[in-house]
Amino acid sequence: MTDEPKTLTRERIAVGDMWRYADDARSLPAAVPPKTLPSEPLVPQPGQQTLAVGQRVTRPDSRNHGLGRTKYIDDLAFPGMLFAKFKRAGIASARIMRIDTSAAEAMPGVMAVLTGNEIPVNSFGPTFQDQPVLADPIVRHAGDGVAAVAAVTEQIAAEAVEKITVDYEPLPAVFDPLEAMRDDAYKIHAPNSNIYASKVVRRGDVDKGFAQSDQIFEGRFTTQMVEHVPLEPHAAIAEWDANGRLTVWATIGRITLARADLARTLKLPMNRVRLIGTFVGGNFGGKNEISQEPALALLSKKAGRPVKGVFTRNDEFISSTTRHPFIMEYKTGVTKDGRILARSVRLILDGGAYCSWSATTLGKACILASGPYKIDNVHSEAHVIYTNKTMTGAMRGFGAPQVCFAYESHMDDIAKALGIDPLEIRLRNVFDEGTSSPTGQVLHSVVVRESLRNAADRFGWETRS
Amino acid sequence: MKRRGRGIACMWYPIGFTVDANPSAAVVKVNEDGTATVLTGTVETGQGSLTVLGQIAAEALGIAADDVHVVSADTDVTPMDTGAIASRTTYVTGNAIRLAAENAKAILFETAGPMLQVMPSQLEARDRKIQVKGFPQRSVSIGEVAKRAQVGLGRPPIGSASWNPPTVAMDPETGQGKPFSTYVYATQIAEVEVDDETGEVDVLRIVASHDCGTPINPMLVEGQVEGGISMGIGFALQEEMLFNAQGCQINPNLTNYIMPTSLDMPEIVVDIVENYDPTGPFGAKGVGEPSLVPTAAAILNAIHDAVGVRITSLPATSEKILTAIKAKRAGERKQVPA
Repeated sequence: MTDEPKTLTRERIAVGDMWRYADDARSLPAAVPPKTLPSEPLVPQPGQQTLAVGQRVTRPDSRNHGLGRTKYIDDLAFPGMLFAKFKRAGIASARIMRIDTSAAEAMPGVMAVLTGNEIPVNSFGPTFQDQPVLADPIVRHAGDGVAAVAAVTEQIAAEAVEKITVDYEPLPAVFDPLEAMRDDAYKIHAPNSNIYASKVVRRGDVDKGFAQSDQIFEGRFTTQMVEHVPLEPHAAIAEWDANGRLTVWATIGRITLARADLARTLKLPMNRVRLIGTFVGGNFGGKNEISQEPALALLSKKAGRPVKGVFTRNDEFISSTTRHPFIMEYKTGVTKDGRILARSVRLILDGGAYCSWSATTLGKACILASGPYKIDNVHSEAHVIYTNKTMTGAMRGFGAPQVCFAYESHMDDIAKALGIDPLEIRLRNVFDEGTSSPTGQVLHSVVVRESLRNAADRFGWETRS
Repeated sequence: MKRRGRGIACMWYPIGFTVDANPSAAVVKVNEDGTATVLTGTVETGQGSLTVLGQIAAEALGIAADDVHVVSADTDVTPMDTGAIASRTTYVTGNAIRLAAENAKAILFETAGPMLQVMPSQLEARDRKIQVKGFPQRSVSIGEVAKRAQVGLGRPPIGSASWNPPTVAMDPETGQGKPFSTYVYATQIAEVEVDDETGEVDVLRIVASHDCGTPINPMLVEGQVEGGISMGIGFALQEEMLFNAQGCQINPNLTNYIMPTSLDMPEIVVDIVENYDPTGPFGAKGVGEPSLVPTAAAILNAIHDAVGVRITSLPATSEKILTAIKAKRAGERKQVPA
């Protein structure tokens, strides 16, 4: 560790604060940054160790976070930068008949207005490209964006959004996934069925397994829609250079896919799009795809100035992805001593208005649904359904927290009915090294039994039946 | 009256995408002084992934974590990566970085062989040195080797590599296949106190025993588990987006959408199960998502243990629990002979 100078030299300020012009920095007083700020970590030992793996190394970003010096999107500004706001539909299912943006455009300080028909390829999505950047002409949930404004201040942009008027022809709407599954239900993405993806995992013969069982248990479980609620909402800045090359700074967890989606929606070659992922202030699956970025890019192109968009908390709730509500039906056949012989599971996922990461959630939930248990006869099936609600997508666990709530609640009900301790019934059924999973995969590095025993030891679990 | 209960839940969770390719590529450059720079297309989303990836590169090169700087998330600069999703960063991106570091190290070994008068295959990188296996007193610093490679031989020690978890497609009829390369396992046990007059739940304690393969950085594993538990508590007891009959959300704000705060957090004990996955970088798998998977189940089982009611729809709000307690009491009263 080098000795720290007692006072910061002007050169050090210029480097440390990354001011754009060194001359400006030199003219500033040396007292601006905290004088005591060391450039080396305070506790360097773990980071200095070899071997490096297994060390409790301090994060290199932690000092910046702790001192409030991390640059999130909202901390970035460029000369002439504008601020974008979005007009949300506020109606769950409708056809847009007319959008009048003239009053907004006439406002002083409004530099650009955008509607869905101006977007070169107005669709995106990781599995199905069923989601528009701005709805045109069909609105499929109340949080759909229908227009965007870029203005010199956030306040002017927000006022301009209020001045945009939209005429809607209301369409039928369906909010309950069970209702939406029916043949006569309103088709949200007509002519396609509302059941937009399904998955089956089958192993052995569940009917035979149930026939051999001493007792059969059934349970029905449901879960709710929740938001990721990251501290930092979705945020991005778009800027073009004089050669027509686009740079987007975005709080996004997957820059490779995001660049591909941006290039596709804007009809640009990929080498003319640069995507810089800034520090993400909380993701949890909610920032795994583009959202407002193509609209910001187009507003920026129209205005000829950089454009920043930061979702309000309301935007974050109503127009970003959420966790799938599940309806889960479990049926399990067991022997008297608590061994599971057969399990059938049926999962209905409320997919909201667009697919997003639903196919992945569906697949993982279906594969994991029977739990970490050796069961010779399994039948799991899962379906994800369009409804006119906020779209569901990737969220920490991809359906696993929902099915775990169901299979573990169900397991305790079985244990109680059979008079077996909840820990004991799990130990009698869990996977071991080399167990074949419900999909026939031979599992390795399996330690679920060890985790049960460790947790019970640390908790002080006393067996009772 | 406040009644205590305990509940247990275990789980399994896969690492990476379901069947689909989800590769990562990486570049590792060893500088002339023996420090290194890693280029990765993944993104730091607050979990500390760049720290872990730097530790993996350091381990492979025989240097310390502080000797590595990780550059991430710029499509003009960094190679392709599937990103911070599916608990895959440590496992998939980590493997790509490990392989890229191995490729850079191979150049160092070829350079160091003549310097130490042994075959490159006899060398190992440890403690910032390239040394002869089984005869560590014959060694040379990595910086010296890197400088010789670049300035002397004109062969800068740069390695690149990519990695993708091996899977087998699932049969569309039966789902039989190998959808994931590996899985992690966990158990959480919750202790709760339920007020049977109000239905209010206080989560007192959660013991979380998680498998992540080798914990590359145990402190960050603990952080992930603690954060996951807070999210799991919200999912179990509080959070719900509510819609009116017209399909508009009625609580799109943090006043009416209730989330756990620091005051709702229980005492948490994190246990990392000893494990080593030979398919992961230095035995590591992942821990990001699984940390919240069993939390709600454990809490709901603990509520059942405390007051004898089975809540089958999340969130288990005080209203739902109290209604269930009242229904249970009414049912018990009915069974009394007239």
